[in-house]
Amino acid sequence: MVLRQRLSARLTAVILAAAFAVPTGVSAEPQAQGAASSVNGRVTDMAGAVLPNAEVSLVPIVPAMPGMKMTPPPPIVGRVNNDGSFVVNQVPAGQYVLQVDAPGYGRSSQEVTVPTTQTFNVKLEVLEIPGAEAAGAEAAAKPEQADAQAMQQRINELEQRVRDLEASTVYSLPETRTRRTTVYIDKNSNIYDKPTPGAKKTTTYQRERVYRRQSIDEKIQSALEDQSKNSVQVGVSAAIAPQAVFQTKGEKTDADRHAYQLSSADLFFTARIAQHTVFFADVVGLSGPPPDLETGGLTLLNGFTARLVRQNELNLREAWLRTEVFSQKLSLVAGRLDLTNYFDHNAAANDETRQFLSDALVNNPALNLAVNGSGFAAIYDPKNGFNFKVGIQQSKTDALNLSQSMYSLGEVGYVARPKGLGEGNYRVWYRTDNSIDRNRTGYGASLDQKLGVQQVTWFGRYGSAQADIRRDHFYSGGLQFSNGAGFNPGDVWGVGYAHYDTGLGPKERLMEGYYNFQISEKFRLSFHLAHVLEKRPGQQTVGYLIPGLRLQAAF
Amino acid sequence: MSHTRFLVKLAIVMATALAGTATLAQQDVKIADPTSVVMIVNRDSNDLAFMDIKTNKIIGRVFLGNNVNPHMVMMSPDGRYVVTGGTRANKAYIVDVRTLKLVKVINVDIAPEHLAFSPDSRWYYQGNPEGDSISVIDMQSLTKIKTIPGFAEPLNVTFTADGSKAYIGNYGAHWIGVVDVRRHELLKKIQIKEVPGVAILDPDKYLGEVHGINIAMFGPDGRYLYAADGDLGFVGVIDSREDKVVKTIKVGKDPWRIYMSHDGKYGITPNNGDQTISIIDLKANRVAATLEAGQNMTGVNFAAGKAFVISSTSGFVYVYDMNSLRPAGRIRIGLNIQLETATTDTQDQKIYLADSTENAIVIIDAKTQKFEKITENVGLFPWGTHIMDSKDNYCH
Repeated sequence: MVLRQRLSARLTAVILAAAFAVPTGVSAEPQAQGAASSVNGRVTDMAGAVLPNAEVSLVPIVPAMPGMKMTPPPPIVGRVNNDGSFVVNQVPAGQYVLQVDAPGYGRSSQEVTVPTTQTFNVKLEVLEIPGAEAAGAEAAAKPEQADAQAMQQRINELEQRVRDLEASTVYSLPETRTRRTTVYIDKNSNIYDKPTPGAKKTTTYQRERVYRRQSIDEKIQSALEDQSKNSVQVGVSAAIAPQAVFQTKGEKTDADRHAYQLSSADLFFTARIAQHTVFFADVVGLSGPPPDLETGGLTLLNGFTARLVRQNELNLREAWLRTEVFSQKLSLVAGRLDLTNYFDHNAAANDETRQFLSDALVNNPALNLAVNGSGFAAIYDPKNGFNFKVGIQQSKTDALNLSQSMYSLGEVGYVARPKGLGEGNYRVWYRTDNSIDRNRTGYGASLDQKLGVQQVTWFGRYGSAQADIRRDHFYSGGLQFSNGAGFNPGDVWGVGYAHYDTGLGPKERLMEGYYNFQISEKFRLSFHLAHVLEKRPGQQTVGYLIPGLRLQAAF
Repeated sequence: MSHTRFLVKLAIVMATALAGTATLAQQDVKIADPTSVVMIVNRDSNDLAFMDIKTNKIIGRVFLGNNVNPHMVMMSPDGRYVVTGGTRANKAYIVDVRTLKLVKVINVDIAPEHLAFSPDSRWYYQGNPEGDSISVIDMQSLTKIKTIPGFAEPLNVTFTADGSKAYIGNYGAHWIGVVDVRRHELLKKIQIKEVPGVAILDPDKYLGEVHGINIAMFGPDGRYLYAADGDLGFVGVIDSREDKVVKTIKVGKDPWRIYMSHDGKYGITPNNGDQTISIIDLKANRVAATLEAGQNMTGVNFAAGKAFVISSTSGFVYVYDMNSLRPAGRIRIGLNIQLETATTDTQDQKIYLADSTENAIVIIDAKTQKFEKITENVGLFPWGTHIMDSKDNYCH
């Protein structure tokens, strides 16, 4: 009987132990091995009030490495008793983080080593969440803690106010903005937020308010940006380009040892007038003689005067509207245009304000576009490396209607990456022009190719155009050095050569080198040295050396 | 015998009751696998949302408080906590991942934005750009143990793999701070390149708002760091063993920062000054390509052998083939929208892009370049996204 009772008692102990072992096994998978022991302590709030039923967790510490995918080990969990004490039993030896959570309070977290004889006295702080309805409500509801917590809360609020004031002056009203939203409207004009039978999908605009705190700086910045978007932007580009001419070959001409200075001022006006639609106008004024009036070469020695004839008065260089359609893949431009801004746009030899001054190294004479005029251009660029352009423009200022002197141009461009080299832009174009007597055609190619080092760009152009007799042929090439290949990081320099043979006989050979200092973001100074040989049938070849300066301001 | 049966029944009842308790405890677990969610930080609804990667449904949300305006969200490497800095509350917020409960709010310095964890998850460095400091938070005690002063608009923190040092990008200056993580002290300042002498002639630029160094990022070998300086237009290569600059690389104008491709071959700087990207060959340490890009670029993600460059205000994501280093089109996400930043999934297949003005998350399939917008229940003005173990976790 005694034996039976002993067996029964042992069986009872085994069954109970097994029963209690089940949830322990579910809730804890301790990483450390060794004898299990307990962790005990007491949990109160900052005022000393007990926090029964607070959750006590022992989280095993597992070293983490970057990039390692892991799920954190589950903690061993216990609860705080009504008297504020807690005991977590069956804790295997090891390193843990002891953390205590209670609704409305911030987590207490500390590292512990088990086994330990320490009694952990944990104090929890109220967790404030402004705007959250339930936060802290449970804690505040307990009458025995209300006074102490109210005091603590008040102190916390005042501390927060001081911190906010110290931090920055902020605009603390809710932010208001307008959003485009999709709604569904039925035949009675009732609005639904979700698809509803009989209701039509439509778009509306509605104000929304959010709790966003902006500083005064941000608010001012935002207002200035809004104002800027809705106003006409004005840009200015001004240049002064003194040049001198020294004759090096041939019979003496009027240009020898003469100095010249051309001043140019461009005013740009840009206004956003609709979705992806912009109005642009460029008014330019030129003053002072360029050397071309006396040297009389095939191409201009100062590219600022290209396609402009009148001096000392304002000229409307361009005035157009541009809109973008088909996910902005297609740009349409109409108005008074300079088609050379869109076609044959060589990255290293296209800009008389930053690169070469001689027009033979800025444009391709085989394009043969004499003046700007009314026209239209379409540019299709899906941003995948290919682009396609077509344009049509009137190229005579005294034309009586749009069928006279029509100049049309088409171009295909491609971004290539030849083996061993950097990226390069390659273009071929074809044009027709009926401005003189009959339809004359021309074609050409243009490239700018980064070499193995990104600082050096090789550029080249070729063009051939129908002339009165035979064809005009043109080619040019050179190198541009940039991206830190100069004295200052923003400096650019280059050398180029242009070769132009006309069908009528006159020929031109031109070389130019320049160095462009970036003095500031808005101000550049460049030195130029060009040499040109002009050969006309039956005449001696004439050569000129042309040193020059260019001061360029843009803002 | 009847006594034994009674005890067996009692044990079964108690075991069932306790097992029931365990089941209830498991129901409190909102996220069992921290790699299964995309975290979304919502600036204007002042909360963090958690989206299940498989279903694209929002499965949890943690409200942080009005006018908190959280900036960047990040999960600790051990997957236990998610943290964010409340820019307009000057506080750090710590959320328990398993339960999605806000468990701690810690006062930090002014305007906390970007942050990082030490590789062992012990230290959470919170950058405070307007306080010019880094707040050091011990993730075991969940307390701020130190504020490291002496920075100039500290924007991003990068820890070494062994966790011994941290590199701090100073956007309001032209140097990187090196912090000793054992002592949490600023050890050294590294300037990647001298400001050019001609700068004295350009006070508008150099005495105006500084566009300095956003972040220093480790290259593939974990030894060399790359840091872009916006005003100077250079990327500096820093040897982390000696903490010295070993090379500078000229890139485009006003580079925002550098982003590293996942295969370790290239780094990309989006250059907002000239709307280009510079692709840097990390082996040769030179620019391999400069390609046209969009305006106001805020991030670069890599997936399916391509780079996806976010042009914030244009509503486009520009795509580049990272094998040919050529443009590969652009994805129009929407009209009159503002895009923020994105994270890439760990399979390098999908990109999760925050579309703030539409309160949406845009999921881009990197292979097909098609996308879907998740708008339901995302939150207001999603500012950034984060996936644990993603190689493209960043903010702007």
